[in-house]
Amino acid sequence: MKLFDCNAGFGTSMLRPIRFAETAQGLLKEMDYYGISEALVYHARQRDDSPVVGNELLLDEIDGFDRLHGTFTILPLQTGELGSLEAILEKMRTKDIRAFWSFPAEHKYLMTRIALAPLYDLMVQRNIPLFISVNESCDGISGWYLIEKILSDVPDLTLVVTEHGSWGHDRFFRPLIEKYENLCLDISRYELDGGISDFCAKYEAERLLFGTGFPRWNPGGPILTLAQADITTKEREMIASGNLERILRRVKL
Amino acid sequence: MNLSPLIKEFMERGRSESCPVIDMHAHLGPYQGIYFPNPWPGDIIRTMDRCGVRMVVSSSHAALIDTRENIKMADIVTKYPNRFRAYWVINPNYPERTQREIEQFSEIKGLVGFKFLSDYHKFSLTDPRYELALKYADEHELLILMHTWGNSSYDSPSLVEKLASKYSHVTFLMGHSGYGEWEKSIQVAKDYPNVYLELTAAYAVNGVIDWMVKEVGSHKIVFGTDLPWFDPHYGIGCVIFSRITDKDRHNILHQNAERLIEPYL
Repeated sequence: MKLFDCNAGFGTSMLRPIRFAETAQGLLKEMDYYGISEALVYHARQRDDSPVVGNELLLDEIDGFDRLHGTFTILPLQTGELGSLEAILEKMRTKDIRAFWSFPAEHKYLMTRIALAPLYDLMVQRNIPLFISVNESCDGISGWYLIEKILSDVPDLTLVVTEHGSWGHDRFFRPLIEKYENLCLDISRYELDGGISDFCAKYEAERLLFGTGFPRWNPGGPILTLAQADITTKEREMIASGNLERILRRVKL
Repeated sequence: MNLSPLIKEFMERGRSESCPVIDMHAHLGPYQGIYFPNPWPGDIIRTMDRCGVRMVVSSSHAALIDTRENIKMADIVTKYPNRFRAYWVINPNYPERTQREIEQFSEIKGLVGFKFLSDYHKFSLTDPRYELALKYADEHELLILMHTWGNSSYDSPSLVEKLASKYSHVTFLMGHSGYGEWEKSIQVAKDYPNVYLELTAAYAVNGVIDWMVKEVGSHKIVFGTDLPWFDPHYGIGCVIFSRITDKDRHNILHQNAERLIEPYL
């Protein structure tokens, strides 16, 4: 089972996790311990600092490491901090960046079409996935209500929601899964007993992605859960790596 | 990839003959805020078999609300004597029932002690309403599984500390290890021989198991899953992939629990 982690971070964050990787090399060492082949990664400063600083730091850090695939953190373009849409796209082409992360609570903006229309349109036209934790919020809207807000604005967006669970989120996300066909979930905290197999039986495995949530969460949990879930080998491989590879392959830069 | 024999066995087979897991923190039945694919005893036993869990010690969800439901858990233990043991839930919102319930408890085999859910029942662990149960548990050297959460005004690790020396014959299992207030939980488990850390949900926090083992020792940590909430493989994965020895993994996953529940087998 090839593991491709869709949700891993490294670097020094404002709040120190109990265990973390300070550098890309350190993250690779962690991945080796767990048998993780590749990872879609962000740098802690992309969240805890300005994305202007964090995006550049990430590019510097992962340069030369083929197993680490970078992401860009977004901001509304209206302030001009990230440059023009064309400039962002050009940098993504040059550095082969194929996914965005959004941290609206930390970076203080609204996840609305008014604020993000050019970026949302770019994501849909070019199949670029957007990652967001269900623990995020923006100006009073949070959790699954925020996710529903994003998808009602951009129904065709490939949106990967991370860290859902562990205290029973199926009643929240199943209606959204049924309505929005490009909504995916990472399994970093999908701890529900029988949850993965129950989900796959009803919605097919293509909506789930292997993620660890490193450094905050213990990768051993999702690894053994996925390895032993009561699903087919094909479904397991899709979740472990195939689905993320397919999503990244579809991106048109 | 790290190939400790135990990791290899669980990854390849999903269970280990040499490591028959004991889950010290389980429940049973549907509940208010969550969808469970596998809530009933037959479902839970299938999960246990899939994950190599030999035995669970449970309190039913229904009994967390209405303690008159405790008696049904005794029936489950009778029906599945090799797979279930149970805690009797004490709900301090109905203190007039506690004396009679302790009498009922004393007449039933297969019960290992009491379960306190103070954060949800909204009475502090140190509230006099718990005293009857605490004194009885102390006199009879019972286990008490307490939901504990960091900085809670109802069941923080500091409140456990206040009970630990007063009721020194009770074995206190700090459910969720006082989630979030790790340093204090570790100190309490280290200082009091009758206090154990219980890992449900806590295991997901990266690095916390290594920290507990280093500071407290694996002989003071027990495993739990909140079944039917969490897939045992999730918690087992967190334990076996922690940077600890196979001896530590055996201690946490079954050997400590075997020692604690031995009088009730």
